[in-house]
Amino acid sequence: MTASAQRCWEDVQEGEELKGFSLELTMTRMVLQVSGTQDFYPIHHDQAFARTAGHEDIFINTGFIRGCLCRLLTDWMGRDGFLKSLGFQMRRPNLLGEAIAVRGRVKTKRPEGRVDLEVWIENGRDAAVTVPGSASVVLPTRS
Amino acid sequence: MPYDIKVVKRQWEGHETPLRWGRYPVEHEPIRRHCHMLDDANPLFIEEGRCPPVLVDFFASRGSWPPGDFDILGLVRRIPTPGDRLINLNQEFEWFQSVSVGDRLGAKHKVAAIHQRGTKLDPLSVWIRTETTIVNQREEVVAVRTNQILVHRTPEEIVTGVSRA
Repeated sequence: MTASAQRCWEDVQEGEELKGFSLELTMTRMVLQVSGTQDFYPIHHDQAFARTAGHEDIFINTGFIRGCLCRLLTDWMGRDGFLKSLGFQMRRPNLLGEAIAVRGRVKTKRPEGRVDLEVWIENGRDAAVTVPGSASVVLPTRS
Repeated sequence: MPYDIKVVKRQWEGHETPLRWGRYPVEHEPIRRHCHMLDDANPLFIEEGRCPPVLVDFFASRGSWPPGDFDILGLVRRIPTPGDRLINLNQEFEWFQSVSVGDRLGAKHKVAAIHQRGTKLDPLSVWIRTETTIVNQREEVVAVRTNQILVHRTPEEIVTGVSRA
């Protein structure tokens, strides 16, 4: 999203897909995750610790997941949009070595610039939705 | 003495922490690190210093290291549970205004609900829901966050029947 690409409420269509993005969860990305979130709980960077807790491997943390969903929405809204709410459920871990796709769709247009959306993260391993969510944004109007 | 979820609920549900101010003001470098993590090149964040909405609780916290008192960790750790391994399950945010570099944020937390319900990780898993209110330097609410965390034992602790509470 650039400063000039401002989306207005009138531009939005119900059912419209958001341009999403994908990320490979390489070890470097996992290190970026710790740097970016400052979440040092070892389950997100220490494979031995994760396995003793019963997990297959280390997995991305809440800060990374919500950051992905937030980026999806702020890229789409433009600079004058306002993210009003975001909720999500972390149903399955996204593990080191996997790839994720961050996606969204416009659900409902409401008065006063409000737009409700479905957002989610898919896991590249089996295209399963690992993180379903919903969001509401306020977009500028032309009137 | 066996773990009694009813006692824990009675003692902890409704517990509130006082407002505590973030250890650091909203700074540009953590915003950039957050963006780099996600390949997010949005100039509003990277160049102009607007805080990505999902980072407000980070700046309202006491700092990430040492980790014991980060965000709700200190509160969750005080609640008796059979295990001590944590997994976040759900999170919901509602925002009321924007935050930028130079703002000062603070937070208070409330234990909204505690339940014990078995999971595939641990039949004695405990679910803790918290509500966090984040304010700016004028004590205006900038966001409200609800979080659901699961506390469980390790497979080894389950096999040996260990319970920390």
